[in-house]
Amino acid sequence: MPNTQNILTQHIYPILPPHLSQILMAVPISLLAKVTEIRIRANQPLALVLGNHDVMIDVSGQATSQSQAYYCTIQDLLKTFQLLCKNSVYAFESELRQGYLTIKGGHRVGLAGQATVFDGTIKTLTHISSLNIRLARAIPGCADIILPFVIDSVSRRIYNILLISPPRCGKTTILRDLIRQLSTGKATLGLVGVQIGLVDERSEIAACENGIPSIDLGPRVDVLDACPKASGLLMLIRSMAPEVIATDELGRAEDAAAVREAIHAGVSVLATVHSRTINELRERPYIGELVQQRMFDRYVILSSRLGPGTIEEIVDSRSEKIVYVCSNEVRECG
Amino acid sequence: MKILGSLLIVVAGTAMGFSVAARYAERPRQIRQLISCLSALKSHINYVAIPLPEALSQCTSGIVGPVADFFRTMSLLLLTNGWLTPQAAMDQALIESKQLVLNQPEREILAVFGANLGGMDREEQHKSLELVQEQLARIQYEAEKLCEQNVKMYRYLGICSGLAIVIILV
Repeated sequence: MPNTQNILTQHIYPILPPHLSQILMAVPISLLAKVTEIRIRANQPLALVLGNHDVMIDVSGQATSQSQAYYCTIQDLLKTFQLLCKNSVYAFESELRQGYLTIKGGHRVGLAGQATVFDGTIKTLTHISSLNIRLARAIPGCADIILPFVIDSVSRRIYNILLISPPRCGKTTILRDLIRQLSTGKATLGLVGVQIGLVDERSEIAACENGIPSIDLGPRVDVLDACPKASGLLMLIRSMAPEVIATDELGRAEDAAAVREAIHAGVSVLATVHSRTINELRERPYIGELVQQRMFDRYVILSSRLGPGTIEEIVDSRSEKIVYVCSNEVRECG
Repeated sequence: MKILGSLLIVVAGTAMGFSVAARYAERPRQIRQLISCLSALKSHINYVAIPLPEALSQCTSGIVGPVADFFRTMSLLLLTNGWLTPQAAMDQALIESKQLVLNQPEREILAVFGANLGGMDREEQHKSLELVQEQLARIQYEAEKLCEQNVKMYRYLGICSGLAIVIILV
């Protein structure tokens, strides 16, 4: 488990008003190590989410009951928002429209408030009333189980892989480690490093600072940071000639079209999608069509049953056979 | 001895005249630099959408002197004290930049600029910066006219007043 205190000191405290940082600094280390989210809501208690449950925190940083907890003020939210967007709302327009910002270290901060709608589309969010700071932890080795199932044992080609899970099950963390291992190569599996193009629309996977990844992704990754997936995928294929192309959270019609185009161009695709099972996914528009057309070679189903990042099963799409099933071994991923 | 004293008085008068004239000459130059910096800032905001702390320091490239220092101080303040609003950072930077020879009208325009900075989307920010630039350009024109009229006058006035004092004393 990476040092949560380092993550908090380097990435989280700088975006919080000083008194909130002080409350978090006083939280016992044993509790901090399990924190996956920090939730700040206007006039509601400060809460820390630990995997499947949450605890409320009082001014001295101790877990407590709702009545004793520290109640976040509107000023707390305002100051945090100001620090988050560095006083520059214009620089985060598209992110605000989508309801999240990604901060240094690849941590995603979700926002909720009042939407300003213009011509039927959300123009921006104002009066921010809730913030959810989701701590991202790079966990080297969390894709070890998947890696042997990603490579075609005969042609040594990388399969088209779709990671499927509901939110908070470690999709991004596993995708990040998969990219790192594929780019570095693994002698024991006969895998030489491959050229990878990464379209990081939410700046979460590589956590780029001024365009340069701040998380280790190995030596063969080209990152297109904050770029819309659909145009980014095609741009990278044309410009950087990758063997594998990776992206996060497919959903829209143009994403599906771009993935189809990439697969037809002979590039392997690694992608993630929100869903619980393959059957559920099949019913979804656009991405469901990709599943019906068997565009992906293998599906990796994740859950948080034994902690985030539990690999439930790996399914081969053509034979519809399950090639790996979880053996109740406890694994922890962020 | 008398000649030496008289000479000193004339030199002092001339120096005073020149320093007042220099202030009149410096003001349009600083307003011109302000307009250049704001124009660069507009591009940094509108085209590349860089956050304010970086944009404010980058918009001064190619410019040296008090105006560049003012923008850099503001950038540093926002970088080190993120909870300061852009307006508060600007007010503090104005206090710290003692070399700025700006008058009340341009300071008022800067106050409007600070109040509208950072809280809006790109399009609105562009409009507000454009308005500030237009207003500053008008003030620059007036400041240049004033400069033409006053620079020579204050220089001559300095020399003449020095001479006048000498004549009275002698």
